Amino acid sequence: MRSLGDLLGVAWAGFTSRRSRTVLIMLGPIVGVAAMVAAVGLTESAKGNLKQELAKLGTTLIVASAGTSFGQQNPTLPSNAVSRASAVSTVTGAAATAELSGVIALPDVGATNYYQAFPVPVQAADLNLPSVLQVPMTDGRWLDNADLADGARAAVLGSGLAQQYGYLQGEVRSISLNNVNYGVVGVLAPVALEPQLDNAVFVTETDAKNDFGTNGDPTTLYVRAANGTTQETANALPTAINLGGTQAVTTQVPSDALQASAQANKTLQRTALFAGILALAVGGLGIANVMSISVIQRSSEIGIRRAVGHTRSQIASQFLLEALFVGVIGGAIGAALGAAIVIATSKALGWVVVLAYSQMPLWIGLAVLVSAVAGLSPSIKAARLEPLETLRLT
Amino acid sequence: MHGGGGPPLLELEGVSRYYGDEVRVHALSDVSLQIYAGDFLSITGPSGCGKSTMLGLLGCLDLPSSGTVRIGGQDVSALDDAGRSALRGDSIGFVFQQFHLIPYLTAVANVETALLYHGLKPGARRDRAVLALQQVGLGHRADHRPNQMSGGEQQRVAIARAIVTDPMMILADEPTGALDSANASHVLEVFRGLQSGQRAVVLVTHDLGVASTTSRQVSMRDGRIVGDESPAPVG
Repeated sequence: MRSLGDLLGVAWAGFTSRRSRTVLIMLGPIVGVAAMVAAVGLTESAKGNLKQELAKLGTTLIVASAGTSFGQQNPTLPSNAVSRASAVSTVTGAAATAELSGVIALPDVGATNYYQAFPVPVQAADLNLPSVLQVPMTDGRWLDNADLADGARAAVLGSGLAQQYGYLQGEVRSISLNNVNYGVVGVLAPVALEPQLDNAVFVTETDAKNDFGTNGDPTTLYVRAANGTTQETANALPTAINLGGTQAVTTQVPSDALQASAQANKTLQRTALFAGILALAVGGLGIANVMSISVIQRSSEIGIRRAVGHTRSQIASQFLLEALFVGVIGGAIGAALGAAIVIATSKALGWVVVLAYSQMPLWIGLAVLVSAVAGLSPSIKAARLEPLETLRLT
Repeated sequence: MHGGGGPPLLELEGVSRYYGDEVRVHALSDVSLQIYAGDFLSITGPSGCGKSTMLGLLGCLDLPSSGTVRIGGQDVSALDDAGRSALRGDSIGFVFQQFHLIPYLTAVANVETALLYHGLKPGARRDRAVLALQQVGLGHRADHRPNQMSGGEQQRVAIARAIVTDPMMILADEPTGALDSANASHVLEVFRGLQSGQRAVVLVTHDLGVASTTSRQVSMRDGRIVGDESPAPVG
C-alpha cells in the first residue's frame, strides 16, 4: 500500500516537473471533453425551456373527442363518457366539456359589434376540469356545487379571453351569453397543452341545459392517465367510451407535439460529439508522441532509478500513471470548461441550462482511456531501457 | 592483503561477457575476482578494456554470458528482474561520472529515490535522506535543485544517494572525471571515509592518480584482469 503511495508521488512529481509540456499534452483531453460536454449541453439547452415546460405539464393528459361520423353534424360523446373512461384502470381522472353551439358571448349586454367579430367558444364544463388539466386559477374560483343550483348563472373565463375583455383582477364583472347575464366568478390560468381553452367561457351543465337547451352530451373528454401508461390508455379509451356504439371517438396526447419539438437536434449533436472524439483521438496521438520523446529525454532518470533498485514494472507504472494524470486532470478541466461554455452561452441566449452531469464521468473516463492507451507504448519503452546504456558507463 | 576475513561480498567466477550471436565480441573473458568487506579497490585500464562491462556485472545491471556472479553469496543469474532490482537497491550504491541527478527534484528528493518502494513513511524517508546529505556535508543544500549546485556538490548529492541505503558495496564510475582537481580530491576524501569493515568501495577509473589512492588496485587489459595488487600504505 505504501509502495502505491510512493508510486503516486513519483508519477505526480514527473507530471508536474515540466509544466508547459504537461499543459500542451493536456490540451487534447481538455478540448475533446469540452467539445463533447458542450455539444450535448448546447443542443439540449437550446430546447431547455421546452423540456422544463414539459416536465411541469407532464405527459399524461389525453384528449378524447367525438369523431365525425357520416351524417352527424355535431358529434357528441355518450352522456356517461366520464364514468366509462374512469372504468379504465389506468385512468386517474376525467372531466368533460360540451361545446355549446350558437351561443354569442359579449363582455356585457349591448356591447358593440367590435366584440361580435370574435367568436367565443362557450363550454359546459365539469366541476373537476381544472384538477384534471392540473391548471390553477389566476383569479377567483372555479365553478362549484353551489353554481349547479337553478339560475345561479356563474361563468369562468379563460385567461386569454379575460385579457381581451380587459378583465381586472378582483373586479365584479358579468358576461352576456345570448343576452343572459352571467356573473364571472374566476379566471382560469393558461392551459399550455390545450391553448384553445384560453379563449373559452365555462358555465355549468345545469345552466347550459336551462338557458341554451343542450342535451348535456359532452363533446370533449380530458383524461389523466397514471404515469407511464399514457399511450396504452389513449389506445384503450375509444373502445371504453363508445362501448361498441356508433359514435366514433378519437384520442390525442397534446404533449406529444411538445415532446417532439423539445427533442434536441440529434444530427448536430452527433456531429459535434464526433468532433470531440476526433479531438480526443488526435490528443491521444499527441500524448503518445510527447511521451515517447520524454522517455528518450529522461533516459538518464530511468537509468538511475533502475540502478537504485526500481523494477521494470515500477518504471512502466510511473510513466503510465503520468499519462493517466494527463487524462484525469485534462478530462476534468475539459468537463468544467464544457459546462462553463454551456452555462455562458445559455445565459447569453436566454436558454434554460441543461447539463447531463451523469454523462461527465463517461467523457472523463474516455479521456483517461485514450491517455492510458497513448501512454502504454512509451511506458513499456521506458521499462525496457537498459540502465547500463543510459548511464553510459566508461 | 585483501580486506577482512569471511566470505567475499562479491565474487566473479570464470565470468565471460560477449555481445552478438553470429559474430561474438568478447568484452570480458574468463574473469575471476573476489571483493571483500573493507576493500577500497580501484579497477583501471585503457579505454575498451572491459571496465564498463565489469561495472555492469559487479553492479547487477547486467548478466554474464557464462560463469557466475555472486553478490552476498547469491547467484544473480538465478534472480528475475524484481529480485536483481531488490538486490541493487539493498546492497549496492552507484556513483557515476555524470552524477545522474534527476533535474526536477531537490537534492533531498534525489537522495530519497533510493529509498522509494522500501515501505518507509515519507517523513522517515526524508529524515534518512537529510542525514545522508549531512554525512557528505550538504545538509544545508537539501532543498536546492541540481542546477543550483556546483559539480562537486552534485557529485556529493549522488554519493549521499549511494550511501543512504547503507549498502555493502559502493560502485563508482569515474567519480572525479567531471570535476576540477580541488573538487576531485574532496570527493576522493569522501570515498575514503565511506570505507568500513562492513563495506567495500570500488572505483572504476582510467586515472592512475585516482587509482593510487586506493588500497587495492586491479588492472585490466583486453577483457582480462592483468594485475591485482595491494601496495603497502604510503607513509
